[in-house]
Amino acid sequence: MALPPPLRTSVTPAELELIACEQLVDIIPLVAMERTAFISGAYGPLRPPAKCKVPIWMATNLKLKKKCHIVPPDWLNVDFLQDRLTRETSQPEFSELPFRFAEVAKVILDVASDDISNPEKVRSLLQDIREARQAKSRDGVSKLDHSELSLPNLCAMEINEIRPFFVRSMGVLTQLVRQPDPGRMDQME
Amino acid sequence: MEDDYYSVESILAENQKIQCQFKIDIPDMGHLDGGNERDIKALSKIQIPMWMAYILIYSDYADFTIPLPFSARVRNALNAEARSVRLSGLVGQGGLWYGFGRMIMRLLNDIPAQEVSDVLTKTFRSRLPEVIDQAHHFAAASGSGGGAIGSDEATMAFREGLDGTERDLFMLAQENARRTKRWYETSEKARRS
Repeated sequence: MALPPPLRTSVTPAELELIACEQLVDIIPLVAMERTAFISGAYGPLRPPAKCKVPIWMATNLKLKKKCHIVPPDWLNVDFLQDRLTRETSQPEFSELPFRFAEVAKVILDVASDDISNPEKVRSLLQDIREARQAKSRDGVSKLDHSELSLPNLCAMEINEIRPFFVRSMGVLTQLVRQPDPGRMDQME
Repeated sequence: MEDDYYSVESILAENQKIQCQFKIDIPDMGHLDGGNERDIKALSKIQIPMWMAYILIYSDYADFTIPLPFSARVRNALNAEARSVRLSGLVGQGGLWYGFGRMIMRLLNDIPAQEVSDVLTKTFRSRLPEVIDQAHHFAAASGSGGGAIGSDEATMAFREGLDGTERDLFMLAQENARRTKRWYETSEKARRS
């Protein structure tokens, strides 16, 4: 394999962020632009002050040049996240969140915190949610078995974080569980 | 922890010795015992490395006894509290307790094999959460300038007692937690603009 060892086990968080940035988000443009073709598709036209859907990478680019406001997705606000945090801490299963919420939230908070109401509160809520979910996935470790593991509603970043050692531990368990196969001893050596 | 011919781990685990009792005389092989005898006499007990023991046992030249790391005493200790047993201490340098156990399991039949398998899986599962916890803990600690974490004696003893397989898992978990944490903490605004 040509990849360096750290990249072999899973993709990096930065790569996940790149993937998440293909998602569309609403912006309010501050400049006019004709419909323009990019490799991933054609976006626009931008006609202020009408809203327009563009990929997040484009939105952040425009935002940094102060050429648009980003309209945060409907889940990225204090009320919604507060509600999810309550569910997260009161119920045993993972609550439902967008699959790439961690990446999207971080990118938008990074570049467009002024477009979000109360960004500090949102940030701390996201952090709390993350910690609550981490505690749950840690509990999942003790339920690990060699054939399957079901953790519904786990999102991309969390899956990526636990994947390497979950996969490896399941591999080890497969080796340790005895297959009741009578032909096995004979074909061993 | 796999069967691959080229797996260094599996070769190392095969280097463990188990005690065999020979059923027949074998001439000119006394040097295996490191002793002065010229021949191996029937009923003599000799420590044989695993890779050689296979063929002796399958050819019915010798019997083996369950080695110390899987003896009743160790099993009881594992049953009582798996996390306080030092697996690395049980199996010498390489410290591949699970790999060794798996070989023993394959040498045995039916019920004893099932027992060994149960001990292995149960031990692994009860120790895994602690392995992962500590790995995360360390990833977090190293990010924010270390500190006094990890000086706790019980956790330190646990880390020293990790078997080779668990140590690999520890490193995997630690590396990944660290990477994710770094991503969460760095703001990429500078890079973007």
